[in-house]
Amino acid sequence: MEAFNDRNVSNGYYKLDIEDYPTTAWGKFKRVVRRTFRGELFVGLWVVMREMIKFDVHTVQYPLEKMPIGPRYRAVHEMKRLWESEAERCIGCGLCEKICISNCIQMDTKIDENSRKEVSEYTINLGRCIFCGYCAEVCPELAITHGGEYENGSEQREHYIDYAGMLTPLEMMTQGKQQEFEGFGAITPHEDAGVKKTPLSY
Amino acid sequence: MSKTINFTIDGVSVEGARGETILQVARKNDIYIPTMCYISKTTPCASCRMCVVEAQGLDGFVLSCNTPPTEGLEITTNSTELERERTNIMKLYDVNHPLECGVCDKSGECDLQNKTLEFNVGQQNFAAKDIPRKIENWGLINYDPALCILCEKCVHVCNEVIGDDAIDVKFGGYSSTIIPKNNDKLDCTYCGECIAVCPVGALISSDFQYTANAWELSRVPATCAHCSAGCSLEYEVKGVGISRDASIYRVKNNFEYTNLCGAGRFGFDFDNKAEKNPADFHKAVEAISSAKAIRFSSMITNEEAYMLGELKSKFGLKLFNEDARLYAEFMKAYSSVSGKKHHSGSQDAIRQADAVIVIGGRIATDNPGVRYALTTASRHNGAKIVYAHPIEDALMKNTITQFLKYEAASEEGVMALLANAILKDADLSDEERAFFNDLDLGYLCAESNIGEEEIALMMQSFTRAKNRVLVVGSDMMAHSRAKNIAKLCAMIEKYSEFSLVVVPSQVNTLGVSLINELDIDEELADNVVGYNASGNFVISSLEFANLAIPSLNQQEGTFVNIDNKVLPTNVALAFDGYTLLDIVQACGVKRENTIDCTKVLDTKAGFKAVAFDDLENFLSAHGDDNRGYILDEVACEMNGTLDSIDDLAEFNGPVIYHSNPVLQFNAYTNTTSQLERDTSLRGSAQFASIAKISDGEKIEISFGSRTIVREFKLDEELKGTIALNPTFDIAVDSSRYRFEKSKIMRVTNE
Repeated sequence: MEAFNDRNVSNGYYKLDIEDYPTTAWGKFKRVVRRTFRGELFVGLWVVMREMIKFDVHTVQYPLEKMPIGPRYRAVHEMKRLWESEAERCIGCGLCEKICISNCIQMDTKIDENSRKEVSEYTINLGRCIFCGYCAEVCPELAITHGGEYENGSEQREHYIDYAGMLTPLEMMTQGKQQEFEGFGAITPHEDAGVKKTPLSY
Repeated sequence: MSKTINFTIDGVSVEGARGETILQVARKNDIYIPTMCYISKTTPCASCRMCVVEAQGLDGFVLSCNTPPTEGLEITTNSTELERERTNIMKLYDVNHPLECGVCDKSGECDLQNKTLEFNVGQQNFAAKDIPRKIENWGLINYDPALCILCEKCVHVCNEVIGDDAIDVKFGGYSSTIIPKNNDKLDCTYCGECIAVCPVGALISSDFQYTANAWELSRVPATCAHCSAGCSLEYEVKGVGISRDASIYRVKNNFEYTNLCGAGRFGFDFDNKAEKNPADFHKAVEAISSAKAIRFSSMITNEEAYMLGELKSKFGLKLFNEDARLYAEFMKAYSSVSGKKHHSGSQDAIRQADAVIVIGGRIATDNPGVRYALTTASRHNGAKIVYAHPIEDALMKNTITQFLKYEAASEEGVMALLANAILKDADLSDEERAFFNDLDLGYLCAESNIGEEEIALMMQSFTRAKNRVLVVGSDMMAHSRAKNIAKLCAMIEKYSEFSLVVVPSQVNTLGVSLINELDIDEELADNVVGYNASGNFVISSLEFANLAIPSLNQQEGTFVNIDNKVLPTNVALAFDGYTLLDIVQACGVKRENTIDCTKVLDTKAGFKAVAFDDLENFLSAHGDDNRGYILDEVACEMNGTLDSIDDLAEFNGPVIYHSNPVLQFNAYTNTTSQLERDTSLRGSAQFASIAKISDGEKIEISFGSRTIVREFKLDEELKGTIALNPTFDIAVDSSRYRFEKSKIMRVTNE
């Protein structure tokens, strides 16, 4: 700990033996000739060749290879479905639209044929989104979350994704592959313990 | 007996007027007593029992909403017991209340939510087995009984203020609900006031439901642009879709103190859309500079009227607006006898009245604001309301105490009879007394079909009345003897306790009649520019315009309403095209903003030199009206004398009466999406037999020089030989008397 706290950086440091820069034209010419014929270039080439032959490459071959992304990573949004009924979780409360600090979420809702609230239009402008995660945090239904999809390069500044594009496809549900979000707003462990039952005297 | 009562609330000594309740006094003194069912404009519902207080010397709690204080009483509004009582009430309200606040349309503007949090209800120890409750669709209104807390505000407002009496509580303990009264379906005028007062999301506009949250809507305080009542309202605006083009989502009112009819509440999408087209604009400027006259409607702001007046003086053209001109003529004749410019009554005066005569108009559909005031007077003051008109109105059935049926076109005779009875003991000049002595009462009674005993009965019912109002409808303006009628009205106002309300037919008829010097419409063949009216070149906010201008919810400006009040209105939606201001500027008038005209409106007509931006537009927490200003009274020369009564005209055969169905007023309400458009001619079975037509038939109606085709609908609530002809879909010449002798032909489809 003492060594760690030692802020005296001069310990163990030493000065490189750097010769003075040439000032005359002749001096400069001599340095160029010396550097050219010493074969420094081949030193570098040798290193590359040596590593190539070893076949022990650490570079990720993006985009052919991708690193796994952490579960709390905040990339392009996803809309989740309920596990039991496969119905959309979003109830159209509008809190994500309200809390969005870059004002990139726009939703319209209407009444559906069963007298329930239905989302009729939902877009996120990824060009404006700063991926702060507030929308996922405020969502009371754990419906809007962030996914791992970070490849959203676009030819223009405005780049919208819509509701259908974010919604978990039904085949993913049947395969049970929907990923739960673990970032801010997700259920914390031991949450069940805090739930009280409604009193039912009948 | 002193008029005030001194007592203390929470140790603060307060003073209440006799007749006030403890709650009213507390609120006046800014002392908070929680309530759930109390609404200021009705009698206390007394269903929530939240307003309980403790009174010293009394066991148990007292309901502050319906208990008057006594001298020296000591009231406590807060104690541990009261807190427990109120918390338990809130817990009971919360039993099985659906936890759908996330989607509920109240979106936080919820009394139940507020009070639940206020009383810190974190835990429930009451329970009841829930029962299935079906969501009802009542046309423009949706009702969710599961959300309903049975506060009964809606029922009280519908009965006591609106007068429809269309909903009722179905009592049944836990299964109580609100139901349409004596009917399976809701049968009412769809004022939507029940939606406004609902403290939870149980009653909701079906068009608005689930489309927006309260916090997303920006509120624009404005004045309703449909009739002359000039009700205050707030347009709630939000952007739609990715483009976020602003659109009006709903209209709200301050339901605690004011009312709004269905046209104001549901008929808000009459905005006009246009883009700037310089070619059209140049044509419009050219048309005006070469015009002989501008014909315009009264559905404009005072500022527009003022600018039209500027065009008149600049180009020396004439201004035609028959509706406002007739009103101005009527009021001029009135002033010549009364010696002042403005009628003395207002909607407030009607509300506080205990005797009202309504004559010469179908008031419930002409001006719902006046109707609601009459209902309030009837229910709260037990007012005697005499309704004189040739056609009975089923909407007024529960409100009026006496119906005087007179013959169409006999208004002058009826007014003379009324004036004669009212001014019997008045201190008249000899000349005026001679006029009444010369009246041939027998002839007038016979021709107008009003019996002397009916008038006597009316006078008898008025004996104890202190606040009396005479409401004169818009039938009178276009009557051939309008001037004499106006003088008779002025006589009644001048020599009796009656105050007078003359109902303007359109939203700003009164304002236009004060601002513009109007000319008699000569029906010129060419060079007439129409401004929201017909003409050779039409500048209008309606369809088929040569140049589009903004409609009244897209304009800043002021109206003068029936109360002689100058009321500001604001821009709810932007308009991209040209306005009258652009035209006036192009014509060489130097003016920067439309609202600069507000300050320069004629003070000789009673306007105050107040800038638009200095006009307030709100109601205080105690309900004090801070909207605009009341016109100053202006003294006029008194040189009018009464003419002798002319022979009363007779209207035989099928007669039609120009009168709009409920919620329809004009071409603007006709363009809205939610309001029903019933364009049929409605008449009684008697009318059908005279005109030889039957229910559902297509007919051709000829009156004056016009012929229109309509469907005939038998209306069981109507009696007599007069049918109702809507005018909102066809422009009817407002210089014509509203009763028309007509020829009716069946249209045969060959």
